[in-house]
Amino acid sequence: MYETKYHKASSVDEAVSLMGAADDGKLLSGGQTLLPTMKAHLAAPSDLVDVSGIADMNGVGVRGNVISIGAATTHAEVAGNAALQNACAAVTDLAANIGDPAVRHMGTIGGSIANNDPAADYPAALLALGATIKTNARDIAAEDFFVGLFETALEDDEVIVSIGFEAPEKACYAKFPNPASRYAMAGVFVAKTAGGARVAVTGAGDDGVYRQSDMEAALDGNWSAGALTGVSVSADGMLSDMHGDATYRANLVKVMAGRAVAGC
Amino acid sequence: MEMSGEYRIPAPIGDVWAALNDVEVLRICIPGCEELEQVSDTEMTAKVALKIGPVKARFKGAVNFENVDAPDGYSIVGEGQGGIAGFAKGGADVQLVEDGNETILTYQAQAQVGGKIAQLGSRLIKSTAAKLADKFFKNFHDELSGAETAV
Repeated sequence: MYETKYHKASSVDEAVSLMGAADDGKLLSGGQTLLPTMKAHLAAPSDLVDVSGIADMNGVGVRGNVISIGAATTHAEVAGNAALQNACAAVTDLAANIGDPAVRHMGTIGGSIANNDPAADYPAALLALGATIKTNARDIAAEDFFVGLFETALEDDEVIVSIGFEAPEKACYAKFPNPASRYAMAGVFVAKTAGGARVAVTGAGDDGVYRQSDMEAALDGNWSAGALTGVSVSADGMLSDMHGDATYRANLVKVMAGRAVAGC
Repeated sequence: MEMSGEYRIPAPIGDVWAALNDVEVLRICIPGCEELEQVSDTEMTAKVALKIGPVKARFKGAVNFENVDAPDGYSIVGEGQGGIAGFAKGGADVQLVEDGNETILTYQAQAQVGGKIAQLGSRLIKSTAAKLADKFFKNFHDELSGAETAV
């Protein structure tokens, strides 16, 4: 057994100072990854700083086409938000299909992107939508935020406060879920934005979420599933594991991209 | 699982070989290495902290040089116990080829992970191992390239 001190923060500032004072602190949001890891003794933080009750970090705001989601907002709250569904149904649909009901009612968007699991769904949406991640210290573009496998641009004590983005003209997410975990074997989020077509892929790349730029170029001229038939997806740099090898995943990326564009 | 790679290092083969045998250089280059102490010409003890997503595990173990063939290459082999997390062992065969004032380093690495860390992280172990192996040789490349430009 090991000791862990639990703190419930009531503001972002308090969470930051609790983390600063902790010897080996971890931020706790929905705990859907961290708590199972702690139960297996694969992580043993000295302090847990619970941010789930911080008012400034909860809820979905939709003002015209400007959307803001608090970092501690659960997947179920995102999935059930009617205003967001009107503005960008791709995001509410994505949230409705993350994991299982327990994960959706406890897990949060901030926790998901801070963990940056290479098969998580939200990183694909944020990257394709060109979202901005607002922390206690700064604004980080999604492009710069997702650094690699489980790696983000976050500093150790930095707290994600909210995620902001503009509703795209069209967007859709298609994933091929692992039948047991519902993690994406390959998930493709496509968005037709003011700045052009954006295609982000999760679950497939061995260094986490990435943009499929040749698909973006093909869709820029011709937004249709047919435009993707000529694009070949290389198996280089694809994840290969007991669930599927690199060639299989490369093919899945192409099929999911086609479904996503057709689903817009 | 097996990984391989190639780096061109802007330093003469003698310097590269010396660095491959320099405990201080290895300590800087091994990802997450907290301690590396030389016990004999070919044996070292190591403490390595691995942080992958939510998992934080500390491995204690030994690092040895085998098949030493100065200055053309060797095998570097390591094995560590991570307590409840499980164990990790791995090694890399390193070959150096002189190319003028530069050196081409190639490696073939293998890694094995067992215990809890392997059960829970099976879908990610291959990518993680490949990333760590490449990080080591990239750090090594940068370490030697940096030294050259500083001179």
